[in-house]
Amino acid sequence: MIDLNVVGAKGALVEEAEGKWGMVIDQDICTGCQACVTACAMENNIAFVGEEDAGYGRSMHWIRVERFWEGTYPHVKMTHYQPMLCQQCGQAPCEPVCPAFATVHSQAEQVNLQVYNRCVGTRYCANNCPYQVRSFNWRDYNDERINSAIATLKNQYNPDVTVRRRGVMEKCTFCIQRIHKAQDKAKSEGREVADGEFTTACAQACPADAITFGRVDDPESLVSQLARQGHGVKHLEELGTLPRVTYLVGGA
Amino acid sequence: MTEQKSLLAVFSDLEPAADAIEQLRTLGVGDDCMNVISGVPVTEAMLGRPNQWTNVPRLALGGSLIGLLTGIFLAFLSPNMYQIQVGGQGFVPGPPSVVVIFEMTMLGMLLSTFLGVFLDSTFPNYRPMHYVPEVSDGKIAILIECVHVEEKKLTDALEKLGAESVQEAEAQHL
Amino acid sequence: MTDKHHNAEQHLREQHLMLDPLPRGQMNDMVMESMHTTSWKFWVVFGILSVIVAVGLFYSWGRLILEGVGIAGVNRPSYWGIFLVNTVFWIGISHAGTFISAILRVFKAEFRRPFTRAAELMTTFGLVQAGFSIFMHMGRVWVSYWLMPYPNQRGLWPNFHSPLSWDLLAITTYLLSSTMYLFLPLIPDMAMARDKSTGWRKTFYKILALGFRGTEGEWTHLRNAMNIFAFAIIPVMFSVHTIVSWDFAAATRPGWNSTIFGPYFVVGALHSGMGAVIMVLAVVRATMKNMKYFIRPEHFEAIGKLMLIISMTWAYFFFNDYMVQWYGGDKWTKQLLHWHEAGPLGWMWFAMLIFNVAIPWATLWNKKWRSNPWIVFVVGLLINVGMWFERYIIIPISLTINRAPFTWRMYEPGIEIPLGIGTLAFFILLYMAASRLVPLVPVWEVQEGQMAHSLKKFGRETVVTVSELE
Repeated sequence: MIDLNVVGAKGALVEEAEGKWGMVIDQDICTGCQACVTACAMENNIAFVGEEDAGYGRSMHWIRVERFWEGTYPHVKMTHYQPMLCQQCGQAPCEPVCPAFATVHSQAEQVNLQVYNRCVGTRYCANNCPYQVRSFNWRDYNDERINSAIATLKNQYNPDVTVRRRGVMEKCTFCIQRIHKAQDKAKSEGREVADGEFTTACAQACPADAITFGRVDDPESLVSQLARQGHGVKHLEELGTLPRVTYLVGGA
Repeated sequence: MTEQKSLLAVFSDLEPAADAIEQLRTLGVGDDCMNVISGVPVTEAMLGRPNQWTNVPRLALGGSLIGLLTGIFLAFLSPNMYQIQVGGQGFVPGPPSVVVIFEMTMLGMLLSTFLGVFLDSTFPNYRPMHYVPEVSDGKIAILIECVHVEEKKLTDALEKLGAESVQEAEAQHL
Repeated sequence: MTDKHHNAEQHLREQHLMLDPLPRGQMNDMVMESMHTTSWKFWVVFGILSVIVAVGLFYSWGRLILEGVGIAGVNRPSYWGIFLVNTVFWIGISHAGTFISAILRVFKAEFRRPFTRAAELMTTFGLVQAGFSIFMHMGRVWVSYWLMPYPNQRGLWPNFHSPLSWDLLAITTYLLSSTMYLFLPLIPDMAMARDKSTGWRKTFYKILALGFRGTEGEWTHLRNAMNIFAFAIIPVMFSVHTIVSWDFAAATRPGWNSTIFGPYFVVGALHSGMGAVIMVLAVVRATMKNMKYFIRPEHFEAIGKLMLIISMTWAYFFFNDYMVQWYGGDKWTKQLLHWHEAGPLGWMWFAMLIFNVAIPWATLWNKKWRSNPWIVFVVGLLINVGMWFERYIIIPISLTINRAPFTWRMYEPGIEIPLGIGTLAFFILLYMAASRLVPLVPVWEVQEGQMAHSLKKFGRETVVTVSELE
């Protein structure tokens, strides 16, 4: 047997590959209704980029519902919907390539952090993300002078989340503001955060309950139990990214 | 005691200039009292002059050492001053350290080589100096300083050896 | 002496600058005259380029900073576009100067002498454009100083895990050292220009000549320093483009993740760089007074031969990369290769091969053709277009194909186009200005070479000999 700790930092990290927070997405029951996309945008103050930029591949949603077809038109068959979001990799390819330490690994929460005010906008992280789930603030979408639509939408900003300015990268945070809120509350009451006590905006909004969020390092949590099912898949696992999102597809 | 005078003898060719230097030595003008001014690099060996001392290689070595230390600081110490974990790699990146150390060493070496030329040649220097602009056109000038040999004797000897002109050197703004 | 022998000698002199010496004073005057003689056409071109620089570069860049990268064409998945294509392109151009003045100096290739400075100026001005392009690319250029390693209040040093941080160190090192290497051999020529000028030019050259007289000590320090530079700048040059290639090769992407990218990029840089040098020399020879004496068909012939060798080396590395990627059979790489050749910009892929390989090979093998300034000018131009295509294929076209097919989308350049034209115009503008202010031919190096060359008879044949003076 090879002792993983002898192999060095990477080997040692494999042991904590499970991470802390994780998600399970059941593609078999996802209806592609986009409620998660909307809820995420509301929760995280995601900019509305307008029709033209959205059509040009600049929409900034942190979660998107990918859809795929089989066959050629007109004999096409829809396959599963695939909600895609930051996989909160244990060994994220986006992290080491940032020259400014603007995207880093949180050792406390075992998620991948984006530090907006440290970002200089080289966009290297987005190129190096195999899941292509990072979004860039191409313009000041939150400035009324540039985006008139934002004038009224401003009233629904979530005060717990920063409004990003142009030139910085952003991505899904696993609703870290909710994680912190729940942890603070539990701490003040002198207890641990209970499984299912809170969830992310996307999971909360999903009418089919296709998204489950929770502690993956707790074998009894719902998310761990779901992830243990035989038909769980982690995307592009072969790249060694240690993704924290499990997709259930082709189950009974 | 009179003020020390300097002479500037201008030659158009290498051969007579080399002869003149030999002659001057027999007349009692030491090598440290002579200097050659030329528009192309004329090596010391061509004129039978002692090798010039230069600090440039030593300064380059010193500069590369400083660069090396800077590189080591950046590669090994700076990541530990504020530890941030990225991509599952160690705080100190392994192979990339080589890149950082290499670049800083080379930068240190080349900067100090450049500065070495400035230090050794006392550049920039806009004070008046002994000079003849014909040097730019390919002439070779011998500058004789600290003359205690009789001036006339020297002038005659130099002219006999083919000097185009021998004049009292006056410091002038270049 | 027979007539035949005399003719052979005459012929060699006409061919080779090194065998055709003129008095130093005359060469000085020729070089000074070439700087002073400026026709109205020069000022017309200068004026047009100034307008292009003002609008294409500075106005557009101002807009880019005020409005954001949104007015460029970058999107998901092509987060990098023409700005980085141009960065790589200009760094490539800059490699020619170092190649000629350092590698050819180290190997004592005598034909380099009259145009080392013309090539080194390209290095410095090319790096200026590369720097501009990389800063245009950044989302928040006003905080780019955060990438510099210095003790700061934020308590944070740059991330040396990132290839971009290595890039910053390497390009800074290269820019500083190539500028110093340009300046060192310029000092004696500045002193020459000082002695031959009056008025404001006198003051200008006096300041830059630093008080150089040409004493034994000054020459010794200079020679030592130039020797150190010639050797030390070669690995720096290799490291710069290798690190640029690692920006791509270190990424987790199909098509980019290739171990051969380092040498492949270095050779690609030399390919476009040599093409650019030959273009500059053809223009300098045709438009500047007295340059037909200094820059002769022999020089185009020699550079043409280098271009041919570099073109073959490029093809070798290209095929190496292509072969292994193709054989590997990874499904994303397969998609990418198909996209390169059969995608909507497949014509670019084929044009790249024609311009970088087919045309150089078809023309440069012929000594007569590669001695013709205008033929090699056209070949050099095509190589530069081909190399630009190569970088365009590697960056925005390859970025289109990733492991998330849902995001695949074409990249359409926006404000990158005027900005790219602006950097090109600024490069030419800087070069034109330098040609009025800086002696383009290192006269002292030419004279040194002419002193070392002579003719010698072997039996009935007259041949060239070179003595080693150092």
